[in-house]
Amino acid sequence: MAEIVIENAVKKFGHFFAVNNVSLTIQDQEFMVLLGPSGCGKTTLLRAIAGLGMLDSGRIMIGGRDVTYMPPRERNLAMVFQSYAIFPHMTVYDNVAFGLKMRKADPAETDRRVKQAAELLHIEQMLDRHPSRMSGGQRQRVAVARAIAVQSEVLLMDEPLSNLDALLRLEMRAELKRLLVELKVTTIYVTHDQIEAMSMGDRIAVMRDGVIQQVDKPNTVYDTPSDRFVGGFIGNPPMNFIDGQVQIKNGAVKVQIGEFTIHPPEVIASVLKAFDGQQVVIGIRAENIETFTTPTEGAMKVQVLVVEPLGSQNLLTIKINESMLKVATHPDFPATADHDIWLRFPIDKVRWINRESQKALV
Amino acid sequence: MKRKKRNWTPYILLAPSLIYLAVFFAWPMVRSLSLAFYKDDAQLSLRAEASFTSPVVGAIPQAATVTILDTQGNHLETAVDSGTITEVWYRISSSGADGAAAEGWILSDRVRVDEESGGVPTLGRIRAVRRSGADPQSSVYVQPGSSHGEVAARLDAQTEVNILELVTLEVWYQVSGTDREGQTIEGWAQSAFITRGEQDPSSGFIKKGDTGEWTLDFIRAMVADRFFMSALTTTLLLTVITIPIQFVVALVMALVIQARLKGNTLFLYLFAIPLGVSELAVGIVFYLLFTESGYINSFLMGLGLIDQSITFISIQTRHWIIIAIVLAEVWRATSIVMVILVSGLQAVPTELLEAAELYGAGLWQRVRHVILPLLKPSIQVALILRTILALQVFAVVMAISGGDIVTTLSRETYRWYSEEIRNPNMAAAYAGLIMLISIFTAIFYLRAVRTQEEAAIT
Repeated sequence: MAEIVIENAVKKFGHFFAVNNVSLTIQDQEFMVLLGPSGCGKTTLLRAIAGLGMLDSGRIMIGGRDVTYMPPRERNLAMVFQSYAIFPHMTVYDNVAFGLKMRKADPAETDRRVKQAAELLHIEQMLDRHPSRMSGGQRQRVAVARAIAVQSEVLLMDEPLSNLDALLRLEMRAELKRLLVELKVTTIYVTHDQIEAMSMGDRIAVMRDGVIQQVDKPNTVYDTPSDRFVGGFIGNPPMNFIDGQVQIKNGAVKVQIGEFTIHPPEVIASVLKAFDGQQVVIGIRAENIETFTTPTEGAMKVQVLVVEPLGSQNLLTIKINESMLKVATHPDFPATADHDIWLRFPIDKVRWINRESQKALV
Repeated sequence: MKRKKRNWTPYILLAPSLIYLAVFFAWPMVRSLSLAFYKDDAQLSLRAEASFTSPVVGAIPQAATVTILDTQGNHLETAVDSGTITEVWYRISSSGADGAAAEGWILSDRVRVDEESGGVPTLGRIRAVRRSGADPQSSVYVQPGSSHGEVAARLDAQTEVNILELVTLEVWYQVSGTDREGQTIEGWAQSAFITRGEQDPSSGFIKKGDTGEWTLDFIRAMVADRFFMSALTTTLLLTVITIPIQFVVALVMALVIQARLKGNTLFLYLFAIPLGVSELAVGIVFYLLFTESGYINSFLMGLGLIDQSITFISIQTRHWIIIAIVLAEVWRATSIVMVILVSGLQAVPTELLEAAELYGAGLWQRVRHVILPLLKPSIQVALILRTILALQVFAVVMAISGGDIVTTLSRETYRWYSEEIRNPNMAAAYAGLIMLISIFTAIFYLRAVRTQEEAAIT
C-alpha cells in the first residue's frame, strides 16, 4: 500500500512561492498527472516528494509513513528524470542494476530483476552497451527500466517524454501506459503536455502558480474545467470564452451575446440571478458548437474568417463581438472564408464562468 | 569527377603557432637533449702536414697522452686567428757570448723589451733562465717557428739585442699517439688542442678534440655519480608520498566546495591561496617551522611537552626533512589539483548525483560509483600535471635542506650546471632523465585511467 498524502505543502525560493499550500492525496496504485505550464511548481512538488528538495512547511506521507524530512534513499521510491540521468560510465546492465546494487540485493535476484525490467522495456539486447552510443529513445527506456527494477511502490516521472521527438513520444506514451497498468505502482507523472496528461492519467492535477486548480478524471477536467485557466490550458484548440450579459426579464434569466440570446438551464439560471446586468463568461469547446449552413432555429449568424482543414476536422475561426471563436466541424462541412454560417451552443455543453473570479459558477 | 577543393585556411592560421612551437620548444628541447648524448670535443684529428687543408690521417681521443715529435710555426697573414695558439718571434742582432756578431730568430718570450717605437719593439735584453738545471743560455735559430731547428747563435742572459723584425706564427705540433682502435698514428695538430708537459716538453695530452661524436659517457657518469641514487630515490619517494595525499585532500576540498554550503566561495578562495605563493617562499616558511628555534619547537616548548628543542634538519634526520618537504608540497600544490577537480565536478550533471542518491547511494557510494568515474578526465589531467611537477621539485628542497642532505634530480641538474662545475652535458643528462620519467608516467596514466567510450554524454 503506497498512498501518498501531501498536506499543506509550501516551498519557497526566496520570496517566491513555488509551491503554495498544496494538499493532494494520491490513491494506492493510482496514476496521477501533475499538469501545468512551466514555472507552475509541478516539478518542485515532485522533487519535494522525492526528497530532492525539502518543504518549507507541510507534510508528505507515503504509505502512512511521514517522509517529510527523510533523505531520498530512505523513501523507497523510483524516479525517471527529465534528462534521464543515466550514468554515462556504466553499461546499460549496471545502470538498471544500480538501485538494487546500492541496496545490496542478492546478486541472483538482481540479475533476474534487471533482465525482467530490460525485457519489459525491450532493451535486453543492449545490456552490455554504453549509453553514449544510444539514441534518446533507448536511453529513455534504460531510465524507465532502472526505475522499475527496484520495484518500489512509488514511481515518480519528471517530464520523461519531453526530450523525445514527436513520433517517438507517441509510441512511448502508449507503451508507458501499458507498462504502468501492469506494474500496479503509485505513479506521479509531471508534464506540461496536456495530451500526455489526458491520455495517460487516472486523474489530473492541474497546477498554476504553485496552486492546484483542479484534480479530476481527465474527461471531467476536459468537459467541466473548474476555471477559465484550466479550460484554456487543456484541449487543442483551447476552450472558447465569450462574454455575455445577464438579463432578467419577467423572472426569466437570459444571457445576451450581442443580439443573440441564450437561455441557461434551471440550475445555472438560479445562480445567474445574482449577476443581473453583469457580464459572465460562456465557455464552450470548439467541437461542441453545432454548425449549420442555413438559418436554423436558435442559431446565431456569424461570418467565417479563416478555414483550416486539419484532415480529421476543419477548424473555423469566427469573430463574435470582440472575441475570437474556434469552431471544429466535420471536414465535409461546406464553409468558406467570408461566408455566413449559423452556430448553436448546446446548452448542456456550456461552462458558465464568473468574470471576476474566473471560477466556474457550478 | 570534380576534385574536392582543399581548404588551407586552418593550416595558415595554425602556421604561426607551429613555427613558434618548432623554434621555441622543439628545437631547444632537441638541442638540450643532444647535449646529454653528444660530446663536442671527443676526438682530435691529426693531419698529414701542419695545415688545415691537408688530409686527416687519423684521430686521437680526448685526454690521451701523446709524444710531441716536432713543432712548426706557420706565418699568419692576419695577426691573430681566433681559437689558435700563436707565437711571436723576433729577428735580432747582437754580439754573441763569444763577442762575435750574431743574427737569427728567437721566441719573443725570451726577450724583455726595453724600447719600442710606434708600438714596434726595437731594443731588448735576453731574459734570465730561472728553471734550475736548465740551459743558462738562449738559442737563436736560423728559421723562426721551430725549437728544433738549426741554431745560429747562443746568447747569455742580459745580452742586449736589436729587434729587427717580428712575425706571428701559428704553432703546430707533430704528435704520435694511439687511436681508438689501438693503432699508433702520427700527424700534425694545432697547438691549441694539446697541452704540453711542464717537465717534459716532448710529451703532452689532448686537451680537447675538434670533432664530436655520440656517446653514453655522460649517462654513465651520471649513474656513477655519488648523488645519483640518492637524488633518484628521493625524487620518486617524494612523488609517491605527495601525490596520493594531495589527491585525497583535494577531492575532499572539491566536494566541500561542491556541497554549496554557506560561504562556499570563501572556501574556494581560502583553498586557492597557496596557488599565489611562490615555491621558494613556501620552502622558506616550512624551513622556519622546522628549525631548532622554529615555530614547531617553540610551540612544543611553550606547551611544556619538550624540554629542549628537537633537531629536525640535520644529516641524521633525513626523514624529518622529507616529511617537511612533503608537508610543504602538500600545502603548496594541493590547490591546483582541487581547482581542476572542482571544474570537473561542475561538469557532472546534478541530476546524475540526485539519481544516485534517490536509488540508495550514500555519500561514499556516490563518490565511488558516480563522482570518481565521471571525474576520470579531470583526474587524469591533474595526475599528469602534478606528477610532472613533483618530479621537478626543487625550490622547496633547496630551501629546506640546502640541497645537500636531501637532493633531487632537478637539484642535481642545477648543481651540474651552476656553481663551479658548469657542465652542461651532465645537467642535460639529468634533465633528460626527468623528462623520460615524466613521459613514461604520463603514458602510464593515459592508459591506466582510460576514459574509453564513456564520453560524458547524458
